[in-house]
Amino acid sequence: MNVQKRNNIHVQGAGPATLVFAHGFGCDQNMWRLLAPRFADRYKVVTFDLVGAGQSDRQAYDSARYASLQGYAEDTIEVVREVGAGPVVFVGHSVSAMIGVVADLKAPGTFAAHVMIGPSPCYINDGDYVGGFAREDIDSLLDTLDSNYLGWASSMAPAIMGVPERPELGEELTASFCRTDPDIARQFARVTFLSDSRADLARLRTPALIIQSSEDLIAPLVVGEYIHKLLPRSTLRIVDNVGHCPHLSAPGPSHEAIEAFLGSLQFA
Amino acid sequence: MSHAIPGLAELFDEAPCGLIVTRLDGTIVKTNSTLCVWIGIPEHELVGAKRLQDLFTVGGRIFHQTHWVPSLQMQGSLAEVKFDVRHRDGRTIPMILNARRRKRPEGEFDEIAAFVAEDRNRYERELMDARRRADSLLEAERKAQHLMRDRALFAEQMVGIVSHDLRNPLSAILMGVQLLGRVEAERRARVLGHVQQSAERAQRLIEELLDFTQARVGKGLAVQPVPIDLHGVVHDALTELRLAYPGLKIDHHAEGAGACVADADRLAQLIGNLVSNGAAYGRSGTPIDVHSAVAGDSAEIVVRNLGEPIAQEVLEHMFEPMVRGETGSNTVRSVGLGLFIVREIARAHGGDMTVGSTAQDGTSFRLRFPAGDR
Repeated sequence: MNVQKRNNIHVQGAGPATLVFAHGFGCDQNMWRLLAPRFADRYKVVTFDLVGAGQSDRQAYDSARYASLQGYAEDTIEVVREVGAGPVVFVGHSVSAMIGVVADLKAPGTFAAHVMIGPSPCYINDGDYVGGFAREDIDSLLDTLDSNYLGWASSMAPAIMGVPERPELGEELTASFCRTDPDIARQFARVTFLSDSRADLARLRTPALIIQSSEDLIAPLVVGEYIHKLLPRSTLRIVDNVGHCPHLSAPGPSHEAIEAFLGSLQFA
Repeated sequence: MSHAIPGLAELFDEAPCGLIVTRLDGTIVKTNSTLCVWIGIPEHELVGAKRLQDLFTVGGRIFHQTHWVPSLQMQGSLAEVKFDVRHRDGRTIPMILNARRRKRPEGEFDEIAAFVAEDRNRYERELMDARRRADSLLEAERKAQHLMRDRALFAEQMVGIVSHDLRNPLSAILMGVQLLGRVEAERRARVLGHVQQSAERAQRLIEELLDFTQARVGKGLAVQPVPIDLHGVVHDALTELRLAYPGLKIDHHAEGAGACVADADRLAQLIGNLVSNGAAYGRSGTPIDVHSAVAGDSAEIVVRNLGEPIAQEVLEHMFEPMVRGETGSNTVRSVGLGLFIVREIARAHGGDMTVGSTAQDGTSFRLRFPAGDR
């Protein structure tokens, strides 16, 4: 198994520790374009695509392996073994924050710390626990995914809409960004939004930084506070941001929060 | 002839598509009456008051966060994204949205055009339903082919094993018949006995095959349940079995009354299969215990032998056809249909078989079935 090719791993920079960035549901590693490079002057920075997303090896997608977060967690451990050097800090957005937790429990010692951006261990409300969604909401997401199947699979957005003024992405990357096989997207949506990682999370002992947007539909503030309460060695930083992707819409404050956290870990 | 054309404001407001301008966080700063009419919400309730994503279903809002926002940020534009937009009265309207992020002197905005797509939506749903139907047909076809391959393989194996198993008793019979012509009178009786035994073995095999075919191809084994005395049936069956296995000690424990409703011949066949199984795989020199009881609404027969415990994964497949223990001696081997038929007999009585195996207690096969209206 060629992990490099399977997960389309990219490495930049060098330093006493490695930062591994894992994207969430919907897009690919290009999500980190505004944030990850900021660390490359002092750290080894690794970005990769989850199998099924971006430019990962679609041939490697196996619906049994990726039927739960376990398969993704195993991949992540393999990615770290392939390119990690020194202490490794795992930066996971959204579902990948939980993939990091599962990977940590599977292979203790793999990670020196976690940075969780917009994490949620469980999206569905359950008794006293507020995840933010009901089961029907997830069904309506699957419906929306399905109804964008035709457009999304064949969309040539930049060509139709004209060249944008300040494209963050070159044309070759736009071709794959946010686009995936509809069956994979459907399964990944299920795995993402129907998983319940609360029990795993409660067992995590590695230091963690939680970056919580002040307003986030997908990972609401109460969920960030829940995680902070559950994790004995966690720091909660609330970033003034509307939306689920502070690394895109508020890269500056996100960067500062991570820098402060890395400083407290004293790697150098 | 006037060459006057409508003013820009009018064109914007009455354009044949919904137009929306939002801030980067989605807050609506401008919209047109086409959109307002489509969704039944007046302009003043939208501008400055609602965000684009507020118009979507919850699933649409998630999709907006996971796909729309990042794509727009990275690409600067998006085309043909479909959302269900909520009308004031609660129904949803499928709309196709195109968007472009623009830097204007006044700031950065997302400029969005929306088209109602009811017909396209219906058409797409039909396409997707057709695809789903095709997928499930394909899956069913694949399963059917798999099953057919399994059946064909099974049949081949079965022919192989049956031929092998029938050859032994038949060659013994032939040898016996040849011997009969040559040996003196006093040895004939013994040879005849062997011939008869082998012929019976061949006959049992054929009967098992017939039962198996009936159970598998037809609607299960035929049974004719009548009121019987369970203990008496077990006793008679064991008496015959003791003759067939002269060296084997078979104990019978009868518990309580024995009245129940069952097919006596089938029960005898079941006991015969279980005892011969115990004789083949049990530790030699140890007895086989047979226990019969009618308690409350159910009747049961337990056949137990001592010996090495059977592994759990073997126990799980014990009653499937063609499963055979590893240590069977040649005289008792069969096509491995014995236990399958045992379970079929149990099921034909409305009951079932269970099996348990430990080093201490040996292996116990338990038949339990409803005692019936006796």
